[in-house]
Parts: sequence; structure tokens; C-alpha cells
Amino acid sequence: MADARDRVFCHACGGVWLRDEHGLECPHCQSDFTEIVEIPPDPEAEAPDPPEAFPEEPRQPPRRANTNPWADHNPWAHHDDDPDEWGPGDGLRTHNYRSPDGRFTFTSTTFNSGFGPQRSGQRSRQAPPDPLTPVIWGLDRIFHGLADTYQQQNRPRSGPGSAPEPSTAPPPWVAGGMFRHGHDFDMHHDDDTHGPYSGEPGLRPRNTDGPQPQVTPLRTLGDILAQLQDNFGNRQTNIAGEAHFTTGTHPLALLSTLLNFDRHGDAVYSQEELDRVISQLVEQNMGGTAPPPASQNAISSLPKKPVDQEMLGHEGKAECSICMDPVEIGTEVTVLPCTHWFHYSCIEMWLNQHNTCPHCRRPIDLPNEPEPSRHR
Amino acid sequence: MSQKRIAKELAELVESPPEGIKVELADESDLYLWNVYMEGPEGSPFQNGKFLVKLKLPTEYPFKPPAVSFGTKIYHPNVTNDDKGSMCLGMLRPDEWKPSSKIAAVLQFARQLLVEPMPDDAVEGRIAEQYKNDRARYDELAKEWTRKYATA
Repeated sequence: MADARDRVFCHACGGVWLRDEHGLECPHCQSDFTEIVEIPPDPEAEAPDPPEAFPEEPRQPPRRANTNPWADHNPWAHHDDDPDEWGPGDGLRTHNYRSPDGRFTFTSTTFNSGFGPQRSGQRSRQAPPDPLTPVIWGLDRIFHGLADTYQQQNRPRSGPGSAPEPSTAPPPWVAGGMFRHGHDFDMHHDDDTHGPYSGEPGLRPRNTDGPQPQVTPLRTLGDILAQLQDNFGNRQTNIAGEAHFTTGTHPLALLSTLLNFDRHGDAVYSQEELDRVISQLVEQNMGGTAPPPASQNAISSLPKKPVDQEMLGHEGKAECSICMDPVEIGTEVTVLPCTHWFHYSCIEMWLNQHNTCPHCRRPIDLPNEPEPSRHR
Repeated sequence: MSQKRIAKELAELVESPPEGIKVELADESDLYLWNVYMEGPEGSPFQNGKFLVKLKLPTEYPFKPPAVSFGTKIYHPNVTNDDKGSMCLGMLRPDEWKPSSKIAAVLQFARQLLVEPMPDDAVEGRIAEQYKNDRARYDELAKEWTRKYATA
């Protein structure tokens, strides 16, 4: 189905054709700079933002490497397949709901501790309790408390709030508080979220507004914290008109700072931390566009010669433009291919950082090239 | 080397200062931090204002560029409107900096920027827009700020 409808787009001439008719080479200009474009079947042609093929977790291998088998995949259709099987082991799964008109998406995340509500008796014998479980329960409550307080402060309308009791409820980090998106949609969040997690473990967060590469699966609580932070951050900007969030330290940021939890990754949980990382990156990349250092060999092989009358120019005196010391006739200086000259010790220090003339920016290792036009 | 060159440049600037520019060390014991008093150029909305410009030289000077910031509040597209007052100068960017540029040239460039802002290279986008689209209002506000903050 999807394969038969694959269209190929030519980047050279802009042509579009059906793949099964003309193959991958452009029938118009014979270019092979082409791309298979996904035009998913769209039941509602008037939908403003037709769902692109979601990179759903691979429940079956793609049929072809270079086509997207999910072009016509309905991401919430599969949950009824076998809703009773609740895997015994630890696992994180995500459930995505997308409204038919594509206006919003809802993501819930379920952590399967192995203590399925109905089958906890059997399961606990099969899978020994995770030692982390109590910790996570505790964290979960804190999250719910924080998130609820936070949201109720800012948005009176709020969904189901309190954390369900562990013994009776579905796995509680279905996240009534955390992933509740405050849009005007009905919370499609029913039992089929407890469907099996048969793919590889891990969360696959994605923005279903468009195709995106799959990101690294989330496996640790630290990853989830990062994801939470993301969700909150995004929402603050996305629906700024609807929900007014106070600025300042986010409760989750505060919490994660307090816990200092799982800091081995690249995640940061507070604005301050993010600022710090950004300024560090900026510093590291300062002069990222600046020329690279010259090689030691290139520096030491530059010609040296004593300053003569001609080099002093019309005024009869000159200075090394790096140290600004006047240079007398007879002083030995190093001459760059562009004929600019400096004290060896001065130019050496510069060339150790950038391989261009400090005066005219001409690279020192391209003696025969004309003046570079690159001038930023 | 940096100290020698800085001292030399300082001596030159003190001895024959460029128009509208007066320099001194912020602290006599520290060659790397200068206070520059810059007169608002005639014909600019900053005329009659006296602006404190802070010049910070890196220890790697002249291989690394100095940093220029305004200690006096100023309404200008190329100066951040915060307590830092950082000035964006193309020649001070790491990939543009040349060790043969002198501090005198930097300061003159900075002063020229008061006459001719570079809105396309702005750090204050709103002021840049206004400078481009509503020059009269820009002049008015820049003058007002000059009167408020840059006249003793």
C-alpha cells in the first residue's frame, strides 16, 4: 500500500513521480539526487496538519530499508491487540494519542515495575522486586505533589490529580500530573495504556507534528527527568497564551538539583545550569570560525632576514605590529609569504593560534595564492 | 609582552588622545582594566553626553581582543541594554581580531559607532528596528537617555 504509493522527488529538477512507475532515477533529468517523499494516506483531507508517518517503535521490521513502513500506520490502533499482557519485567513504555484532526497530541509514559495490579501475586514471584521501586514510588509522589501544586497555581482547570495508591491503581507514573497537557481535549487515557510493551524497552519521545529521528531511548530516571523538563519547557512556550507559568526555578529543577540524581548524562535541569552549559560551549567555540593554528613546521620554516632600508618604507622607521616596538635596520625579522614581517617571537605566538597573517589574514601556507577574498 | 605593549599604547593614548576620548587605568595597579571617557560625538543624539566605557584587556593581548562595555546607560542598537552594557564590535570578534589593531583604533571605532550604529549587527533588535524605521523617535529617545544618564 504505502510502498506502491511512494513518490519520489527530484532535487535537481523538482519533478515528482510514482516510484513504482519510474523507479528512483528521475525520468525527467536522469538525476539520481532524488528522495522518496512520504505522502501518507490522509483520511481527512481537510486536516490542517496531516499526520506524518510517526517513527513508532519498530514492532515489526521495516519492509524496505529506504521506505517508511509506517506511512499509513495508525499509532493508537495497536493498543487493543492484546491489552491483557502486562510484561513482568521493568519497562518503560509510552503511549501516544493524536487527535484525528492532528491538532494536538498526548503522550503518556508508563513505568512497569513488574507489579501489575491484577497479577501482582504471580508476577512478584516471577520477577523479584526492583530495589529501586520504593525510591521511585516516593519520587513519584513528590512529582505529583509538585506538579499538581505547580499547575494548580497557574491553571485552575486541572485533570485528575492525586497519585493513585500503588496497590489498587494502574502503574501510577502514567503520570496523571506530569504529562497532563492542558489543551482543550478529552483525556484519551484509558486502559489500553496498559497494553504490552513488546518493543525494545525505552521511551521514544517525539514530536508528532512532524517526522523526527528517533532519539535515544530513555532508560533511567535521569532521562525521564530530562524529558519532564523538556515537556514543561516546551509547554511554557507553546501555550503561553493559555497557561501562565511563573518564571524562576522550576520545582522539578529544584528537586533534581536537590537529588543530584543521575548526573552522568548530558541533562541539565535548571535554567542556570543550562546557561552555564551554553556559555561554556560558546567559550569553547569562540573563534570557531577563526583560522586554525599553523603547524610548528610551517612556523619554523618561515624565512628570516634582517630589516633593510626598503622594508622600513618611506618614513624610514617601522615597528613590529604585534609588540609595537620600533624595529631598527639590521634587526632580524620573520617574513610571511604576504611580505609582512614581524619579530619571530611575536609572530610565533600568533601563528600558534592562527595560521594567517595578523595584518592581512593571508594564510601562511599558501604562498602562491592570490589575496583571499574571504573577508569576514 | 602584553604588558609592555599595553603600557605603550596607554602612554600614547594619554599623551595624544583621539578626539573625544580620554583614557585612564581604572586601578593604577592593573594595566588590564581601563576606564575610557567618551564624549558623545557632535551631530549624534549622544552629543553633550559623557559616557564611561570600560575596556578590559585579556592577558593574551594582543593575541586576543579586548572587551568593550558601556558603564553609562546608552540607547544604542549595538550596546546591550542591561547592567553589562556590552558593545558588539565586529573587529573585536575572535575571528576578526588582528593583533595589529590598536586600542586607539578600537576606541575610535566605538565612538564612530555612536554616530553610525550598525543595526544589522545589533544586540538590541528593538532599538535597531526603531533606528531603521523611525529615526526621529530613536533620536528622541537616545537624546533623552543621554540627558538622563550621560550628563553629570
